[in-house]
Amino acid sequence: MVSKVVLIRGKGVLNGDGDIDQKKLLSMYTRGIQALLNQQNPKENLLLLFRRNDKVGIKINTIAGKMLSTRPEVSLSLAKLLSGSGIQQKNIIIWDRTNRELRAAGYRLNIKGSGYAIFGTDTRGVDYNPRLISHLNIGSLFSSIQSDWITSSISLAVLKDHGMAGVTAGMKNYFGTIHNPNKYHDFNCDPFVADLFETKLIMKKHKLSILDSLVVQYHRGPSYHARWAEKYEALIFSLDPVAADFVGWQVIEKLRAKKGLPTLKEEDREPTYLKTAEKKGLGKANRREVKIIEEEA
Amino acid sequence: MKRRQFFKTAGGISLVAGSGLEPLLMNLYAFEEKANLSKVEALYYKKLSDREIECLLCPRYCKLGDKERGYCGVRENMGGTYYTLVYGKACSINVDPIEKKPFFHFLPRTNALSIATAGCNVNCKFCQNWEISQARPEQVEHYDIPPSEVVDLAKKYSCPSIAYTYTEPVIFYEYMYDTSKEARLKGIKNTVVTGGHINPEPLEELTKVVDAIKIDLKAFTQDFYTSYVRGELQPVLDAIKIVHKSTVWLEIVYLVIPTLNDSPNEIQNLCRWIMKEIGPDVPLHFSRFFPMYLIKNLPHTPLSTLEKAYKIALSEGLHYVYLGNIPSHRAESTYCPNCKNKVIQRIGYQIKKIELKEGKCKFCSNPIPGVWT
Repeated sequence: MVSKVVLIRGKGVLNGDGDIDQKKLLSMYTRGIQALLNQQNPKENLLLLFRRNDKVGIKINTIAGKMLSTRPEVSLSLAKLLSGSGIQQKNIIIWDRTNRELRAAGYRLNIKGSGYAIFGTDTRGVDYNPRLISHLNIGSLFSSIQSDWITSSISLAVLKDHGMAGVTAGMKNYFGTIHNPNKYHDFNCDPFVADLFETKLIMKKHKLSILDSLVVQYHRGPSYHARWAEKYEALIFSLDPVAADFVGWQVIEKLRAKKGLPTLKEEDREPTYLKTAEKKGLGKANRREVKIIEEEA
Repeated sequence: MKRRQFFKTAGGISLVAGSGLEPLLMNLYAFEEKANLSKVEALYYKKLSDREIECLLCPRYCKLGDKERGYCGVRENMGGTYYTLVYGKACSINVDPIEKKPFFHFLPRTNALSIATAGCNVNCKFCQNWEISQARPEQVEHYDIPPSEVVDLAKKYSCPSIAYTYTEPVIFYEYMYDTSKEARLKGIKNTVVTGGHINPEPLEELTKVVDAIKIDLKAFTQDFYTSYVRGELQPVLDAIKIVHKSTVWLEIVYLVIPTLNDSPNEIQNLCRWIMKEIGPDVPLHFSRFFPMYLIKNLPHTPLSTLEKAYKIALSEGLHYVYLGNIPSHRAESTYCPNCKNKVIQRIGYQIKKIELKEGKCKFCSNPIPGVWT
């Protein structure tokens, strides 16, 4: 069975100053979800994945600061689409591990106010669930947002090169759900990325991967380096988390090749976690079984 | 009181899965930064291009971009400068008998003011302090206690030594180093309880300011270090040799884990290495394992296994071999290797009798190596 990955380009979604054209962004989302899920009525698309009473966590990535994090416009647009489909606004949370990183990425935190919940695991009263989860090479405490609060999850990660994993995208985004991600960077983060995704708390709740590829850091990631960040202006959608990352990897390799940079394999950091994930049956990471649909919004 | 318990009793809410976000949200505290971390420039790193750094403290040699932390979780690159986040941020402070570390040949019958910060540069699957060693500093409560106050506390509680312990003091190197220097000025000794996963240069520097180091040698095979420690064996062996060559008192602990590192062959190889490289007078403790952290499917170490290890070590020529976590066993006590009389009788952490005179066996005057006063 072939896994579908939809890559939507939105030329001009970022203006000269790097600001987002919200209308264009929304049309990228709408087009991407429609191409992925095939329902004519946009509201019905997301209800194929989520129930109306679901509590949906949008796990974003804010570790790299304002220049290379999931931007508020990007996550809030997605949140609006969810609530437009009938999921209650109060049951949608945009989150990452720390409030400090969320603020630095431009988020206005919100717990009690009206609007979508936006806060980090380190908020008092949230914290990590004290139950140690042990699965293969993973032994971690999970954010209580992931373990107790949400019933479904969307990984809305920024597509980046990574100095050890090769690529950090939708799957590695879940490193932000655990208390000790720093322990899982040996051996090119392999098999840790796949092992973590395979835990029940991730695998059973994860529904959708969206790779924020508006700006792609194709070299010297995961920190921001303007010299090797490309205004790619795309969003990548898939129900298959491995296939989404696989396509993200291809994007990075293309951008690297364009600049005459060696491949990740030549730099000894090919994202081998993808093959591991594929072997585990978590998704597809080969050209034969990944169908890429590329469109312009 | 552990941090999570603190929040539960202080009014944090109990989260019930599936109850909906809204009522939970209404009860949460306002946003607060959980941790007031330090920002003290780290030692032992080098700056690379593009705001990257390479840490030189331990054999991992973490190469980090801006805003990234090392494996230990407590050192961070901020814009091309590397900082320790735990300087002066002890998450655990206790007064412990020195025998608990265990140091059996160092200031017996005294207490050590014992401190630790969060973090560790390995991830032993059997760690008994994993809740702080495997945590990032913002995840644990801590005391703001600069070096001078640590020393003051040691004096206040009549501790002739400070022990840097519980987690992995290598990762709070700067804090340990500065506190040790201050302690020395006030006549307080410094002891280090470590896995030995540290590079030679910082270790050699450390030996100039501390008085005793106990190294946890987790196994004698790289396979074990790869699978159960996530570290390297050779640097630890090198560290043992460096400490032995210095003036610092050295003891070694080997936690015996059934089926994983308990083979007689491995124990024998270990003992032969010790004899060859550092000699018979370094105390070697074989400690009993109890199911812990990520290894809960194995039983605790059988007494017979420990006694076998004990016998192997003695037959290979080691003079001071102990069994730990077995209260009242004869192998808790110290015997003169010359006349075989018991010179220090111990039960658990308690010393019942010392038969030494000026560091020598009272019965035959054979010198018993150690730091006795």
